Amino acid sequence: MAKSITNIKRLEVPKEKQVERDLDEVREAVSENKEAILKGIKLLKSLDEVGTLDTANAFSHSKKKALEHLVNEVSKDQYTQLFENLPELVFLMGDLDMKAIRETTGRVNQGIKEMNELEPEQKTTIFDLAKALKDPEINKSITMLMQLLKGMGRD
Amino acid sequence: MLERDHTVITLNGKEYLADPGQNLLDFINTTEEQVPQICYNESLGPIETCDTCLVQINGKLQRACGMKVEAGMKVQTQLPHVHKAQKESLDRILENHELYCTVCDYNNGDCEIHNTMAEFGLEHQSRPFEEKPYNRDDSGPFYRYDPDQCILCGRCVEVCQDVQVNETLTIDWERQQPRVIWDNDVPMDQSSCVNCGQCSTVCPCNAMMEKGMEREAGFLTDQEPGILKSMIEMTKKVETGYGPLFAVSDSEAAMREERIKKTKTVCTYCGVGCSFDVWTKDRKILKVEPNAESPANGISTCIKGKFGWDYVNSEERLTKPLIRRGDAFEEVEWDEAISYVASRFKEIKEKRGADDIGFISSSKATNEESYLMQKLSRQIIGTNNVDNCSRYCQTPATKGLFRTVGHGGDSGSIEDIAKADLVITIGSNTAESHPVLASRIKRSQKLFGQKLFVFDIRKHEMATRADRFYQPKSGTDLVWISAVSKYILDHGLEDRTFIDEWVNGFEEYRQSLEQFTMEYASNLTGIPEGELIDVAEEIARSGKVSVCWAMGVTQHMRGSDTSTAISNLLILTGNYRKEGCGAYPLRGHNNVQGCSDFGSIPNFFPGYEETTDDEVRSRYEEAWNCEIPKEAGKDNHQMIEAIHDGNLSSMFVIGEDTGIVDANINYVTAAFEKLDFFVVQDLFFTKTAEYADVVLPASPSLEKEGTFTNTERRIQRLYKVLDPLPGSKPDWEILQLIAQELGGDWNYDHPSEIMDEAASLAPLFAGVSYERLEGYDSLQWPVAADGTDEPLLFLDGFPFEDRKAKFFPLDFELEYDTSEEYDLHVNNGRLLEHFHEGNMTYKVEGIVKKTPNPFIEVSEELARERKIHEGAEIKLISEAGEATGVVTVTDRVRGNELFIPMSANGKSAVNFLTDNRVDKDTNTPAYKEIAVRMEVVKKKGKSPIPTNNHRRGQPVPQVGVKVEEKWEREDYIFPGDQVNKDG
Repeated sequence: MAKSITNIKRLEVPKEKQVERDLDEVREAVSENKEAILKGIKLLKSLDEVGTLDTANAFSHSKKKALEHLVNEVSKDQYTQLFENLPELVFLMGDLDMKAIRETTGRVNQGIKEMNELEPEQKTTIFDLAKALKDPEINKSITMLMQLLKGMGRD
Repeated sequence: MLERDHTVITLNGKEYLADPGQNLLDFINTTEEQVPQICYNESLGPIETCDTCLVQINGKLQRACGMKVEAGMKVQTQLPHVHKAQKESLDRILENHELYCTVCDYNNGDCEIHNTMAEFGLEHQSRPFEEKPYNRDDSGPFYRYDPDQCILCGRCVEVCQDVQVNETLTIDWERQQPRVIWDNDVPMDQSSCVNCGQCSTVCPCNAMMEKGMEREAGFLTDQEPGILKSMIEMTKKVETGYGPLFAVSDSEAAMREERIKKTKTVCTYCGVGCSFDVWTKDRKILKVEPNAESPANGISTCIKGKFGWDYVNSEERLTKPLIRRGDAFEEVEWDEAISYVASRFKEIKEKRGADDIGFISSSKATNEESYLMQKLSRQIIGTNNVDNCSRYCQTPATKGLFRTVGHGGDSGSIEDIAKADLVITIGSNTAESHPVLASRIKRSQKLFGQKLFVFDIRKHEMATRADRFYQPKSGTDLVWISAVSKYILDHGLEDRTFIDEWVNGFEEYRQSLEQFTMEYASNLTGIPEGELIDVAEEIARSGKVSVCWAMGVTQHMRGSDTSTAISNLLILTGNYRKEGCGAYPLRGHNNVQGCSDFGSIPNFFPGYEETTDDEVRSRYEEAWNCEIPKEAGKDNHQMIEAIHDGNLSSMFVIGEDTGIVDANINYVTAAFEKLDFFVVQDLFFTKTAEYADVVLPASPSLEKEGTFTNTERRIQRLYKVLDPLPGSKPDWEILQLIAQELGGDWNYDHPSEIMDEAASLAPLFAGVSYERLEGYDSLQWPVAADGTDEPLLFLDGFPFEDRKAKFFPLDFELEYDTSEEYDLHVNNGRLLEHFHEGNMTYKVEGIVKKTPNPFIEVSEELARERKIHEGAEIKLISEAGEATGVVTVTDRVRGNELFIPMSANGKSAVNFLTDNRVDKDTNTPAYKEIAVRMEVVKKKGKSPIPTNNHRRGQPVPQVGVKVEEKWEREDYIFPGDQVNKDG
């Protein structure tokens, strides 16, 4: 004789028992993935040592806020140019002759070094200039600069 | 050797063989040449809106999708001006669609716009994106429309008009800025939209999107709308070239693959057997994605399959076994529950014998679980008292087919129904009960000249679409079918060759038809003689006839006989053994076919082999190492009777709310009260569970593996989408635990092992194995040992000794009618959006928003006569009981007929009214034969059907998207001409 009933007494699992069950589950998972977990601990340790862990932690906590700030900030008009420039810059990189630029940069660096060795009070007269043209290093630089001017002017 | 015609065409200077009449774009897609295509989708056919597939055909730029291959055709896809024209079309698409892929929820590797642009190598956009003057339509519960992202490809319109054939969506090409509109431009929630979701399935981008995906799919999409807008702005600024944009968004899409799981499953609602991928993120269901390869449904779904899955994560799921103690249930651990169940069954068996226990399997559970339930019953307990809910619905159809053609299932596939010249539905509200299958009929009728005749007492959607619609008096279908058969015979219109070669019992059958004159039929059914003659002539004249029937036939006292009459008529006209023909008793539940197939029936082992057959029985006895009783056990109905008679004291019911769905529930629940021991296994604490001694928490289809068999006899695999909700277990595991506790040597690790065992024992499934059912592969039984299946039955003859079908003679007597006291007839059936008693669909928030209440349909005539209005409250009283409910006045019913949806619960449950009348041959309750009287409680009130219900919508039927109207616009220039003009 079973009448219709709807009353249900919930099974209260004691907290200690639930903790024990959860621990069992975790213990098993740890045992199954021992290697990975040990490596993981090493990784955590290195991250902690350099402070990355704290930064990441702080960022995760306020991920949405941080992203919001960032997006709101970069949406301002003053950044429009930056964003438009970014991809342009990428394409520019593609067009540049890096080898030549590297060579030229080397020369510019040398020049800067020389320049820095200059006595602050030293001056150059017209005569010095004419004389300098005879110096093969200066002559080479002037010739290259003139070539550059010529190339830039070409349509 | 098979000769095939070919058409020779030249593509980029190379000759190819194409199929005659093949769509040119389809053909190009079989070669290595690549042509962009956005609106084209194989399942939908050419729509011709996007212009991206322009190629040069015989010197002229044309849309490849709009052309068929012709002999000698010369096609060029790579010339510079072809490329230019394609680019022009792609540019136009990007004018309508912003590419912010990385922060778009549709960026899952399958965005067709993204992929087409990337493949084409489009680096720059010539014209900027322009915002449209429309807001998003977020009004519906399941999907939303973003006009700003819509490229007006028209796929959604095509699918709504010509595949689903609900005819809600159109594109208004006349306005300044065209857009997709619902009905006559109302918010989607107020429209005729039935939420089949197919528009969101076919949309190539994020314009029509499932709401479940929103802010869930991407790593960066879960943002407040303002932030998201800023992020979109930001991605837009980085728009110099699409290359980098695609690189970033593709990487993000690849990351999503890690997090979003896509698992194939088979729908757990109706018998159509739709299959699809379910996208999940942890336990969250993001969307349901059907697949062109889904064998039963292709890209189609209905509201339940596409959006009806909330019940799986319902708070109301049972997560602990319950044992009745005193006047309460106590939650217990599994060990305790299993050992208690086993010891009680053991005790009852020892004290009162195995036949004192009864088992009811679930048509919601898998084939493997049905197999285990009958094995538990027969092997472990030792009784044939095992049955399933097909007893409530389709057993009479099975009986009718067994009598005549020998296999109790659909004789062909859904594809055959679509191919028929004439489809007749009898007592089937197909559009609501089998929506995806109904759409196939609706499409064939709308586009391909198929004829549709509907016989039903209620004017449902199929009736309003039918070429002929008749409303025979309830329970008299056998009469008109027999009269039509007699007419065909009397006028020599039968298929003589077929009968001579393939059929026995003609003479006796001919004599049995004598009484069914047209006059007699017309008097009994109320259909005029002339009309019946026309029907007979049309059936005889049609080359291919398919008949679909359902509960309107079977749930009568002569359900088996009427099913038999249908089969007789099909035999008479030679409508078996060929494509596009046959008998289709549309199965109600997802696995009602399979549950019977795999042996949960009192007189059959799996594969319909009789328990009384000594050879068969000894095969199982040997395999299972036990003795099995020879005589058939009790069916559901007899079990309930036996409880009242004191001959059955214990029951085990899986996944069936018998206390709601069985007829005459007062009588059924009174029986439950008398049980000594009652076990109920379910997802929820059902009405039936309230009477149980033990309730076991089961897992639904999404949480387990197994197979279902649909109405086409198609066996399909479901994979585990989610892990079982902690505390619940798949039915097969629970059954195994009980069997083991009772000493059974069961050691199944996986459902595939159960199927292997069933296949080894039942010849009908000899070749069924999980390997042959991988992914979207399926098998339609019978399956020979080598894996050959039979999509179309009887090609090698009928499964009787001489391979011939049988005519089965019938007679008729009208046993049910309304009376002076009980003057109204109650009909009942499914609603599209609620399944069965509604225990799953009432847990879907969106469905409840659209259809929150049960209702009682009353005709306009009757409402006038009783002076009641929309929203009135009435009490219906039958001989068996009474029910109350709220009225909707509608022309779907006429005269003194009422309709109550099966999903009506609480006090409106129709089974308070049904009685113990049954089909004389199968004990299926005569649910459709209820006479009641009405008492008016309140004359009018609030309508039970809210204003946002699709029944109140105003569909706008048209064929396709009407692209011609786009072409006629003044601002439209064919990209081919544009290119020529620009030079």
